[in-house]
Amino acid sequence: MQIDQQRERFTIPIGPQHPALKEPGHFRFTVDGEIVTDATVRLGYAHRGLEKLAEKQNWVQNIYLFERVCGICSHIHSTAYCLGVERLAGVAAPPRAQAIRTLVGELERIHSHLLWLGVSAHEAGFDTLFMFSWRDRETIMDLLEAFTGNRVNYSLNVLGGVKVDMTDELAKTVLAGLDFLEERTHHYLEVVSKDTSFLQRTRGVGVMTRHQAEVLGVVGPTARASGVTRDIRHEAPYAAYVDFPVRVVVDDRGDLEARFVVRMKELLESYRLVREILANLPDGDLTVRMPRRIKAGETVSRVEAPRGELLYFLKSNGTDTPERVHARTPTICNMASVVRLAVGHQLADVPLILAGIDPCFSCNDR
Amino acid sequence: MITSEKSWQNVLERIKTWARINSPWVIHFNSGSCNGCDIEILATVTPRYDLERFGVKLQGSPRHADILLCTGPVTRQARERLLRVYEQMPEPKFVVAVGSCALSGGAFHDCYNTMGGVDQVLPVDAYIPGCPPRPEAIIDGVVKLLASLQKSKA
Amino acid sequence: MSTTEETLMLAREIAGAWDWATEVVQPEENRLDVYLKNPDDLVAIVTGLRVKRLGYLAAITGLDLGTEAGELEVLYHFCAGAAVITLRVRLNRQETAVASLSELIPSAEPYERELREMYGVTINGLVAPNYLYLPDDWPTGVYPMRRDFDPQSLLAGDGARTVTE
Repeated sequence: MQIDQQRERFTIPIGPQHPALKEPGHFRFTVDGEIVTDATVRLGYAHRGLEKLAEKQNWVQNIYLFERVCGICSHIHSTAYCLGVERLAGVAAPPRAQAIRTLVGELERIHSHLLWLGVSAHEAGFDTLFMFSWRDRETIMDLLEAFTGNRVNYSLNVLGGVKVDMTDELAKTVLAGLDFLEERTHHYLEVVSKDTSFLQRTRGVGVMTRHQAEVLGVVGPTARASGVTRDIRHEAPYAAYVDFPVRVVVDDRGDLEARFVVRMKELLESYRLVREILANLPDGDLTVRMPRRIKAGETVSRVEAPRGELLYFLKSNGTDTPERVHARTPTICNMASVVRLAVGHQLADVPLILAGIDPCFSCNDR
Repeated sequence: MITSEKSWQNVLERIKTWARINSPWVIHFNSGSCNGCDIEILATVTPRYDLERFGVKLQGSPRHADILLCTGPVTRQARERLLRVYEQMPEPKFVVAVGSCALSGGAFHDCYNTMGGVDQVLPVDAYIPGCPPRPEAIIDGVVKLLASLQKSKA
Repeated sequence: MSTTEETLMLAREIAGAWDWATEVVQPEENRLDVYLKNPDDLVAIVTGLRVKRLGYLAAITGLDLGTEAGELEVLYHFCAGAAVITLRVRLNRQETAVASLSELIPSAEPYERELREMYGVTINGLVAPNYLYLPDDWPTGVYPMRRDFDPQSLLAGDGARTVTE
């Protein structure tokens, strides 16, 4: 007697409300048993229509608008925007302001990577690491608050420079905080590369070869974990990165473990960079005069956000309102890799594969 | 909704009072926010602010929740899902709008794809302003909601 | 000569190698704008860039040049190091049609989908039928990023649903 077993395929929807997802997005995974055979994603839950609104508001109001594209990487968005507008106006912010922008950009990268570590650990079910890394993250939040006045959405940038100045006392507090964080980061690096039960979730999972990474067009630490040496701070230095160069962190294994290791090593590189900037902060003014009406023209402003390359295209028609602002955020480049990589893996590996690209749906949808 | 006179000690006393009486379970829904409010909500369960010691648990399923913490200016796509999440919650249920976007649309009130705040879609019981509100402000807002419910019960 | 200058020189060579470009302008030190004579030349020139391994497609921007001009413009930004090479294609507002790059460059798909739904550009060869960013109940034929988009037209008959207790 032969029992004919029919293979049934189930479609499992995840989101937009889901305990694992902190942001709305809708995934549909078609599974055969436990293995994912097909995956699709529906985005657009956080699409607010910012680019259209930017055409109605003036150049200054738009700084505050573009800061709020994403709460986690708000400073880098406003930096990219301000650098672009300054370039259109033919004005360069003074060196001290550029150094302070770079400094806060690196502090933001530190907070973003620690946040990501906690959220990914939570997705993997490793809540202890989540609690520890977010407790340590509070140190960097305190530093950012002491310096800029807010924990999130710092509003540090103005057109032509920055608002807040670094004092010697504050520099000492920052250095003390970084010493603590560096010790903790070494511990986290050890956890993600040596803890056996964590490695069973990450080693060899979600492998993306260098060729795949280049074809899919991924950016940021996700690409660097697959051996693609692409870092805008290195290739096209902006703000103070010309004076304070960055050592690009690359890993060629391409699996989830590599993505964890790359981000932890980037944290160490950020600590080094912040210390160097604080030791060599140039003197001078904080802002330079900017005209109200920006000269007609176009420019492309590219920066390295914690998640990857961020590109702003700005077009001015000579008035005090922009003609067009286009923000191409990093997560849209990385999202295709999730649906591609999920196929062939177990359903239980999918949340971590998604978390591995450091998705930011609000950046994605704008 | 923190006024400048209320000290942290005063708030702590009030938290202890209601914690002995009630222990609400909370569900969080992001209706299109920039994530600032969401990371501050998540920060409230982490060791420094630690909401769980008061019995407030951040839950996953709407069917187990008492309070809905909603962030974001409610985009058109998220509106339908927000309503479905609300309908799945059992009575008595309460809605807390967290952050400027949830109050009135915030920086995005003039955008073509937003509804302009949670109260355009759901009846809201408490509003927590801020962009984003600090974790202490979120805790204070939830405390105020429950204190007012205690009063209305008595 | 710096790598940026070398890159831009190579891009000029490719743009001048065939009959496709009308004008090559260098608006900034690290940028090159290549205005294409004919939208049909797009795939050919992109193939030329790919063969020479010049840069990667970083973004596709749509521009609405206004209802009087009657044209839309599509910008394809290719980045190589610090250099940015932008291919520019002009399309008639009513009869927009441009070939898809997604077979040549898979990462172009989300950018083209955004262009299609925000500006109403017809992209021949683009498969994905659904909206990327716009909601499912968005009225067809309404393109938000065009200058003549009227947000008031969305409000008619679309009030927020109230929940009765």
